[in-house]
Amino acid sequence: MKVPRNRLWTWFAATRVGKSIFRVGPPHSNLERSQVMVSSFLLHVQPAKVNRHSLRASYSFGLGLISLYLFFILCATGVLLMFYYVPSTTQAYDRMKDLQFVVSAGLVVRNMHRWAAHLMVAAVMLHMCRVFYTGAYKAPREFNWLLGVGLFLTTLGLSFTGYLLPWDQLAFWAITVGTNIAGYAPLVGSKLKFLMLGGNTVGQEALTRFYALHVIVLPAIAGLMVAVHVWRVRKDGGLSRPEESPDSVQSIALGELPTNKSYGLMELARGTTPQVGQDPDDEVFSWPHLVFRELLLFLIVVAFVLFLAVFWNAPLEELANPIHPPNPAKAPWYFLGLQELVSYSAFWGGVVVPALIVTALVVLPYMDRGRRGVGHWFARERRIANTVFSICVAIAVALTVVGTMFRGPNWGWVVPWRTPPPTLEGH
Amino acid sequence: MSPEPPAETVVSRRTFFQLSMGWIAGTFAAAATAMATVRFLVPNVVFEPAQQFKAGSPEDYPDGSITFLEDERVFLVRRGNSFRCLSAVCTHLGCTVSRADRGYHCPCHGSVFSPEGTVESGPAPKPLAWFLVTLSKDNRLLVDKNQFVGPDKYLIL
Repeated sequence: MKVPRNRLWTWFAATRVGKSIFRVGPPHSNLERSQVMVSSFLLHVQPAKVNRHSLRASYSFGLGLISLYLFFILCATGVLLMFYYVPSTTQAYDRMKDLQFVVSAGLVVRNMHRWAAHLMVAAVMLHMCRVFYTGAYKAPREFNWLLGVGLFLTTLGLSFTGYLLPWDQLAFWAITVGTNIAGYAPLVGSKLKFLMLGGNTVGQEALTRFYALHVIVLPAIAGLMVAVHVWRVRKDGGLSRPEESPDSVQSIALGELPTNKSYGLMELARGTTPQVGQDPDDEVFSWPHLVFRELLLFLIVVAFVLFLAVFWNAPLEELANPIHPPNPAKAPWYFLGLQELVSYSAFWGGVVVPALIVTALVVLPYMDRGRRGVGHWFARERRIANTVFSICVAIAVALTVVGTMFRGPNWGWVVPWRTPPPTLEGH
Repeated sequence: MSPEPPAETVVSRRTFFQLSMGWIAGTFAAAATAMATVRFLVPNVVFEPAQQFKAGSPEDYPDGSITFLEDERVFLVRRGNSFRCLSAVCTHLGCTVSRADRGYHCPCHGSVFSPEGTVESGPAPKPLAWFLVTLSKDNRLLVDKNQFVGPDKYLIL
């Protein structure tokens, strides 16, 4: 890849001000290419050299980075929305209407926030599938998988607390159903429900609580976990690779630091330092190969979200009405599989099954001791694990499709290609 | 003079007490903070409508009627001179049930209740609640949503 020489930047980096900002200017030699990576705050979490395999789009599909970029977009648009939004049951809905019709670009900012949120849930789920199918959760990356499970749950929590805030029908009935599901938890259920709502009924107290969770508590948790997650990717030896056998993954004790390196201590990570790389031909400099790909992906993600936001409006249902639930009352697509389960039994579908899924995801990297089949999609050595996981994914998809398309008024069966008969509201 | 025990394997009495005091104090501090935080988040006063309410005078409800009281999310059932009050909150996940041709339907997850509130189908785990109805001193129907009664408990005037 030929690096485009930006004359303006080259000139600026050479000025006194430029030198004070960039510790290493535009790199011209391989030494400078590694120096620029380790001496920049924004770049130093990444290695100076990166394995070619990690750059392959068909391996990772960039799903982790896409999730990260969507998180950035959500933070930026979310802060903008906070300048207009008021977490009050009497004002929230009007503020949504203001954002739609009065505030300049308010509609686009809200749309971006909503679509980025939906995309982030999808990206995180797909990222999880990618990591599973390539066996990337195996040692030494078990803890990073655990952080990933935490991030997945935080993402769902952010989505759930987020779509309550407009205080429309979806919001009101989602809180009602969600907190009632929490009420089915054994022993602490009813207390937990009271704690979540700040009372017995869904009202102002509940909205205040979910607002605080949505704008500070959960983003702070997510931000911290993202930082550790990304840092661990680096420290656990970069993206998983096929050639990585246990003996190529080596830790270096602090006392045995190599002294012949042209860059600093922060380079130290399992299996990735140029000294321990068995075949340096497979590694390329992160600048420009990694950095420019990342920038390009960022632009694509932003452009895609903007494209969606300009052409499709985020839904806003009618004002919350505690008397009449919409019929059918449906959650967003990523909770519809759960809603379908809950329609059979609130305890089994709403408490037991989610608890089992989370437990299975948490213990997975510690139960699976096999070291083989890392770094390949659908490795033959992992046929059983992949089959079991695929069945679970297929069930989840099937439940979601049923909940989305085949459920109509009163959660009865409908076929999507036929309009359902009108229901009688017998009040 | 007895030989000094190797420092890294045997903990001296002083160190043992220091360590245990430190751990106990730390655990208590953490537990107290956690409990205080949770307790802080549980409100002592809730700004909600009273669970006991007056539902107007008995004459407001015609014989054989089932009236939905929106604000209270209950059905007031009159048959002859008997009055009862049925909760409209689905026992499954708290949606408001609506009246169907016979009994009640929940739109959220499809529970069906009989006119007596018992579950006929769907995921609802228990029947709709009946609330105690009494007559106040000024001849108004008084419903207490904190007091649950059986479906065979009537206020007869």
